[in-house]
Amino acid sequence: MIVVVGVNHETAPVAVREALAFPKHELGQALERVRKDAGLGEAMILSTCNRVEVYGRSEKPAVRSVAEFLARYHGRPPQEIEKHLYCLEGETAVRHAFRVAASLDSMVLGESQILGQVRGAYEAAERAGSLGSVLNGLRARSIAAAKRARSETAIGRNAVSVSHVAVELANKIFGQLHGRCVLLVGAGKMSELAARQMVRRGARASVLGGRTFDKAEELAASLGGRAAPFEALRAELARADVVISGTGAPGVVVLREDVEAAQEARHGRPLFLIDIAVPRDIAEDAGRVKGVFLYDIDDLQKVATANLRERKKESTAAEAIVEHEVREFLEWRRSLEIVPLVVELRRRADEIRRAEIDKARHRLGPLTPEQESALEAATSAIVNKLLHAPTVRLKELAGHGQADHVGLVRRLFDL
Amino acid sequence: MGSRAYLLITLVFYAAGALHALLHALLRRSALTTVSLIATLLGFAFHTAALSQRWTEAGHFPAVGLRDGACFLGWAIVLVFLLVHVTTRVEAASLFAYPFVFGLVFVANLTPDTGRADPVLRSLYLPVHLLLAVFGYGALFAAFSMGVLYLFQERELLTRSPRRFYYLIPSLERSDTIGGRSVLGGFGFLTLAIVTGFLWNHSLHGRYWTGDPKEWTALVAWGIYVGILVARWRWGWGGRRAAWLAIAGFAVVVFTFGWATLVPAVAVAAR
Repeated sequence: MIVVVGVNHETAPVAVREALAFPKHELGQALERVRKDAGLGEAMILSTCNRVEVYGRSEKPAVRSVAEFLARYHGRPPQEIEKHLYCLEGETAVRHAFRVAASLDSMVLGESQILGQVRGAYEAAERAGSLGSVLNGLRARSIAAAKRARSETAIGRNAVSVSHVAVELANKIFGQLHGRCVLLVGAGKMSELAARQMVRRGARASVLGGRTFDKAEELAASLGGRAAPFEALRAELARADVVISGTGAPGVVVLREDVEAAQEARHGRPLFLIDIAVPRDIAEDAGRVKGVFLYDIDDLQKVATANLRERKKESTAAEAIVEHEVREFLEWRRSLEIVPLVVELRRRADEIRRAEIDKARHRLGPLTPEQESALEAATSAIVNKLLHAPTVRLKELAGHGQADHVGLVRRLFDL
Repeated sequence: MGSRAYLLITLVFYAAGALHALLHALLRRSALTTVSLIATLLGFAFHTAALSQRWTEAGHFPAVGLRDGACFLGWAIVLVFLLVHVTTRVEAASLFAYPFVFGLVFVANLTPDTGRADPVLRSLYLPVHLLLAVFGYGALFAAFSMGVLYLFQERELLTRSPRRFYYLIPSLERSDTIGGRSVLGGFGFLTLAIVTGFLWNHSLHGRYWTGDPKEWTALVAWGIYVGILVARWRWGWGGRRAAWLAIAGFAVVVFTFGWATLVPAVAVAAR
């Protein structure tokens, strides 16, 4: 049976998640210990900032001992973490594993990091030698399902963080950012984040510095661009395609006249102004100049919210895909459960067959090789033909979740 | 099977493709799906069969009269659409092409055959000239579509609160580039269409210019192409100005065509 025991951003505050987190370098020994302590045949630990989860396979009920292991490993009293834990078994555990990989259980719905984290966790478990056929099956199927959900629905499309929205809007205007100029006015943390993403997509950066020119130069160097004094604003505006403004100035820094002058020099080519400063840096009416798109921090936030709403709508379709894949996985698992029974049944039949052949040989005396092989072939054919239909039916029934026939078959054949 | 039957099957496939695309655009923000593309391809195969069957039946290239004209125009638009799809992958192009093609094939299905079989129509100039002309005008239609998409996206970006279209429409830069290329390609095709038209005229009437409304339309469209090209590459007009120019250019061509064909018809009817 597959079990999942853990905490996530919904069930536990950050303090608890921190306390239960597993650092990467400890994963190997933690996996070893959880397998020993909780008697797990296979184990995997997924530890990210939003969740800590132990995945396992065990023959007997194991969630309690896994929960105890979590408390003991991190030196916490069990009752302290108990109320934050979810302990899942069987079908619910499988469904949870699939939903986590598909980012349907994430804080930011559809975020793309989780799939990489899940992959990493399975790889670490593989290195520690704690993966077997069951968790490996779960790994392959849940990752495939997550990819399907991402590619067939829009759950992961469209940015939901402010800096990503800025990049995406720039893409909506310029198609691609390769070779475009990004102008930073002021060297704030947030503008740096957005600019860095644009530079990664091939944009060139320049930084305007005021009194703290050193800082501007430093930032420009780290972005692989150049710094310019604030007095060069108009010339730089004329050259830029995207402007990210985030100074701490108390008043307006970029006037409508500056933008108008720049637009004149640019033949009305689009200019994307992003004002993430509060109070705002760019005059509001600059957004009315032809060819200029002005977004302030609220506008970006609004787009992010709208995108998140779109993702939520998509999540129903993604859930349906995941549910379908979960069903298939469970069917596959159940059809495997039947394998030992079938093997045993065949073995038993073969035993009987051999015993009867020996008896016959005894009575018949020495046989020619032709007679030997005819006897062998005839008895094998009888056994195979008799067992063919029951084998097929058993696999079918197991696939449909009717594994309770196993007991009956055992009793019928005295296995 | 006759060309009628082929055309009916064509309509069914196009309808399925258009409906699927429309529903997807409304629900899932992707305008073009594999299903609708396959339906379109199947429809196009039957459409081509209908066209060739009709060619045999009529004894000349079937592009004259309402039925054959609509059928041929629809076929050419699908061809252009498929080419645009292969080269640009702009999904929103289907929003323009599908309804238009469906309408044309629908009309073609409803209209009875015209029994006219002018020997003049047997000329091979007809298909060559027509194909060039359709590509020539089709490119202007593509530029017009891209212009509309450009202005739409620009408005979406200016309102700062994205709605459905925001997700579907290509970036401003892309619309602009594709629009520019359409104009350039269309100019080439239309020039060739005009040249073949003149040659055909000459072989029929011994004159290059006959004063036919279609000739005037072609000339106006050609002039508009030259204007757009000059504005774009000489004066550096891009973006919204180029978008408006393409839209206005297309409107003028449609108007000229309507005026040039309808007014003489009205005059004939009044006589």
